[in-house]
Amino acid sequence: MDRRLSYAMGDLVANVALGAFVGLLCWLIVGPSWNMWIAMLLMMAIGSFLGLVSFFLTARWLGAMEAMVPMMLTGELTGMVVGMAVPMMPFAAWQGLVWGAACGAGSMVIIWIANALLKGVTREGKEVRHG
Amino acid sequence: MVDAVTQAKWDKLAPRFDTMASAGAEKRWAPDKSALFAGIEGKVLFLALGTGLDIPFFPKGLSITALDISPKMIEHAQERIAAYDGSIETHVMDVHDMQFEAESFDMVVTSCTFCSVPRPIEGLKALHRVLKPGGRLLMFEHTGSRWYPFRYMMNLMTLITRKIGPDMNRPTVANVRAAGFKVTEVCNVFLDVVKTIKAVKQAA
Repeated sequence: MDRRLSYAMGDLVANVALGAFVGLLCWLIVGPSWNMWIAMLLMMAIGSFLGLVSFFLTARWLGAMEAMVPMMLTGELTGMVVGMAVPMMPFAAWQGLVWGAACGAGSMVIIWIANALLKGVTREGKEVRHG
Repeated sequence: MVDAVTQAKWDKLAPRFDTMASAGAEKRWAPDKSALFAGIEGKVLFLALGTGLDIPFFPKGLSITALDISPKMIEHAQERIAAYDGSIETHVMDVHDMQFEAESFDMVVTSCTFCSVPRPIEGLKALHRVLKPGGRLLMFEHTGSRWYPFRYMMNLMTLITRKIGPDMNRPTVANVRAAGFKVTEVCNVFLDVVKTIKAVKQAA
């Protein structure tokens, strides 16, 4: 997690909003009679692309890779989860929003954990943690 | 000989470059860039200058030779060059075909450069040539990732970003080694996709 609170909150809000949007889009696009796997793969692709495009809206405030990577992950994860859920069960629009928002928050948590694990200095093959 | 295709791509991007790359990325990377560039000293070659977004992070009082393949980028950098408390001499030059004498710089510094150089290992070999033995290479670069799902995502992004600007999946640390440098430090700034790299040209 970025230790600057404004960036941590900005990342979280952007990804929750994107997740909610992609979740709602899944509900709009995918019908209850769709094959679950086709719906999942299609919405993963659409979600990833929307994440990449959304980066251009947020880059001015949140940066480059730090905005692009989480938003693509959010789009992909939301497309996968909600895209698969819609054909499997009775699914309302509000569920698309809430599930998508949860996927956005979950993606950010994944990024924070991955970043904590990967961030650091390697000197001549020896791993040293950041201070 | 300047790569005309690459030059045209960056010339076209120059007027919008600050809007796309400036406010967010530079503010977010500021602490890491400042820390890396604090180590700049001696006779320095900097690339690629772009619109000069990195100039505010340079230590004061240095004499820096800076190059970029795009004359339009350098035009947009003039205000930042004028504001720098030191001297910056600019050249429109392709890293693959630099007109500098061998072993003429103490240090080479790059910033988000080797995501875009068309033949990165050859470009790094060119930097190796102009560095003095024992000279240091400092890099602030974004690269590909070793880890799923980020590796797959960077590959996917590159299909799109390559057409308008940089590649997102370059193995830059491996390229630095392949060009003959000894890598002394790699610091992951964000995941393993934004990093600082320190390397040295070993004496023969």
